[in-house]
Amino acid sequence: MPQARRKPSAAVFRAIADPTRRKILSLLRGGRRSVGDIARNFRTSRPAISRHLRLLRSAGLVVTRRQGTARICELNAQPLRAVDDWLRDYEAFWSESLRGLKRYIEEER
Amino acid sequence: MNTAGPSDTIVKEITIRAPAERIFEALTDPQQRLKWWGAEGQYRGTHMESDLRPGGKWLTRGIGRGGKAFNVSGEYREIERPRLLVFTWLPDWDADAQESLVRFDLEERNGVTTVRLTHCGLTTESARAHHQGWPQVLGWLQAYVES
Repeated sequence: MPQARRKPSAAVFRAIADPTRRKILSLLRGGRRSVGDIARNFRTSRPAISRHLRLLRSAGLVVTRRQGTARICELNAQPLRAVDDWLRDYEAFWSESLRGLKRYIEEER
Repeated sequence: MNTAGPSDTIVKEITIRAPAERIFEALTDPQQRLKWWGAEGQYRGTHMESDLRPGGKWLTRGIGRGGKAFNVSGEYREIERPRLLVFTWLPDWDADAQESLVRFDLEERNGVTTVRLTHCGLTTESARAHHQGWPQVLGWLQAYVES
């Protein structure tokens, strides 16, 4: 059965399961941004955005640092590699299984 | 980076020279399913239970890489013999795994059947939640790799 070479953490899955958090990650793909700058892209309250950012940070997907009075956020996509590997294992599993099904049915006739 | 490859939903297609009914049987009959399911030399099923009706449970036990025992189970959701089979998928080898959804569409033409496998809900919290998240994930990954 598919068993990931590197197992993605549940925190990463939780992080990318939410549309607001996915949008935050997309914004950060374009480069660093301050928390205030990120919050301006949403109708959601700033505390809510901060909560999303905390979750992204604990999943290791966002890194923040202070710059004067602002907090600057940056994307760190490395944890997503494990998700990518994990999905590739599933791809391989189903390819093999379907080939096995074809062999089983066509060769018994 | 292969952007056409992995997605939130895995779709695989294969054509088999047999009627859909014959394939449906191989998908759902426990004795038959154990004969083709898995990957040679890597994992094989040793036991399967199947209560083939909407809401009925299925379960497969087997031996995976390195002789490790595994167990996958789920529930049948949609059955339209022999065209459609939908069931949930919950593996035991990953404590964090969420229930996902597996769908088989069988389309028969002149005795040849196209089998389409769709496995969705793999990165969402719920198998029924539908979103287009994966292309973005690849984009973030690409940004990381290229920077």
